[in-house]
Amino acid sequence: MSGRVIVITSGKGGVGKTTASANLGVALANTGASVALVDMDIGLRNLDILMGLENRVVYNLVDVVEERCKLRQALVKDKRLPNLSLLPAAQTRDKTAVNSDQMKKLCEELKELFEFVLVDSPAGIESGFQNAVAGAEEAIVITTPEMSAVRDADRIIGLLEARKDEIKEYRLVLNRIRPSMVKNNDMMSVEDVLEILSVKLLGVVPEDEEIITSTNKGEPVSGTDNTRSGLAFRNIARRLRGEDVPFMDMDPQNSTWFSRIAKFFNPAARV
Amino acid sequence: MSKIAIISQPDQGVLIDVSGCTTMQEAIDHLSSTLQVSSQFWKGSNVALNLGKLELAPNQVAQVLAIAKGVGANPQTVWSDSAVTRTGLTQNNVQIGTGAPMSLPKVNLDSSAQHDFVQEEFPEEPPIERSSEEDITHFYETQDGESLKQEFSAPVEEPEDKAVKTAPLPTVLYLRQTLRSGQTVSHKGHLVIIGDVNPGAELMAEGDITVWGALRGIAHAGIGGNVQAEIRALKLQPIQIRIAHAIARSPDRPRVKFASEKFTGPETAKLVEGKIRISKRSID
Repeated sequence: MSGRVIVITSGKGGVGKTTASANLGVALANTGASVALVDMDIGLRNLDILMGLENRVVYNLVDVVEERCKLRQALVKDKRLPNLSLLPAAQTRDKTAVNSDQMKKLCEELKELFEFVLVDSPAGIESGFQNAVAGAEEAIVITTPEMSAVRDADRIIGLLEARKDEIKEYRLVLNRIRPSMVKNNDMMSVEDVLEILSVKLLGVVPEDEEIITSTNKGEPVSGTDNTRSGLAFRNIARRLRGEDVPFMDMDPQNSTWFSRIAKFFNPAARV
Repeated sequence: MSKIAIISQPDQGVLIDVSGCTTMQEAIDHLSSTLQVSSQFWKGSNVALNLGKLELAPNQVAQVLAIAKGVGANPQTVWSDSAVTRTGLTQNNVQIGTGAPMSLPKVNLDSSAQHDFVQEEFPEEPPIERSSEEDITHFYETQDGESLKQEFSAPVEEPEDKAVKTAPLPTVLYLRQTLRSGQTVSHKGHLVIIGDVNPGAELMAEGDITVWGALRGIAHAGIGGNVQAEIRALKLQPIQIRIAHAIARSPDRPRVKFASEKFTGPETAKLVEGKIRISKRSID
């Protein structure tokens, strides 16, 4: 079996690459697939924190590449899902610790062991990004609906287009959208973003406070049933597996009777 | 300095300049993404490549040459500042350029001249008169080119002045692709892009610039003083337009609602009495 190596990148920092990687990893694992999460943000590792596994890290990616340990020793099994593993980055090194060839070799190895290999790319367009995409065949570009993020995403897409021999498919995830702001024309809509980026849309994730608590707890939202963002990530995972899932209804007017009552008593309530 | 530039001059051929790149991978990335032109364009042209300070081993040189050849651009001459690369070039049987390669036109856009610029009243909304017969009025503020005028040979106070350089511009660079942020194209003639020009992309031409799509980046026509140059697009929504020495910028309002922006139709920008004017008439 040869797995799919998907790099999750954005250009801009802070738009939700690591959050998306963690949540997609959990969502895919919950559908039954074997998943490896690879943190390529060497020196500024975060994926282990989001997964709640930071106290279980013994070896990391740089140890594997420098042959101080075997790959299996470095992979950390998720504490809830046996078919999900994390290959952490090194916190005490930096992005020069790895080169593209080493990354390609590592991805080849991981492909044989897992159905999905999700590579969390660092921000930027320099060697950190270049190493992260080195072994990938597909890419997910994350952006938020803001001009700065869209500008950077455009740059990244240009760079991914240049690698069309290796990266066969790239799609967009629009993160942290606030439907009420879009309705008031205070925020770019999905169409506005696609007008500039002209790329296939994989999913849209609404802004959700639960993400903050989930990060602190180390429990990605897509593992539980009660959040909108979690549902969005689960839908994206299903689309990655080839299912045709309709996009979530983001229209704030279509809120439930309960949320309308809640808003009546407290207009500031975010429901 | 931009990472890649395509510079073409009718008498000298076309130069692909990647000297702005710092690593080979960058150069390859930009070569592949920007060189999507029809192979017809390269036929009959003398194509050259400028590698700048990039240090490439012989096999890397071969790789870079292969990419260029893959899109139909077969570089006959290659410039390089690095001795290591030159060895590689000789091994690949490529002629090494002597002297200086063609460069991007030097354009002096002295931003200290901003203080001089004329405050014009312009409506917040696109003026409704756009549909009238006359040339439509200033939609953008224009920078007064007073301090810049000495740089260019063409005087601009009198549009009827025939001293303006009107040398024929026989070649047109025709690109069928969307330019993404970070990509630049420069041409010593007219420039035609079939596709969009995204914010962050830059176009430079000595002649006209025509975009069959949305122009949302920066376009500079009439480099070298050609005040007759025009910029036209199906959707003229640029960050900045520059014609010869004049600069105009879009009004300061949030530019985010691209999909729902009122589509006003194809428009042309040209210099009228030293100021950039936008009109819907394509032929004048």
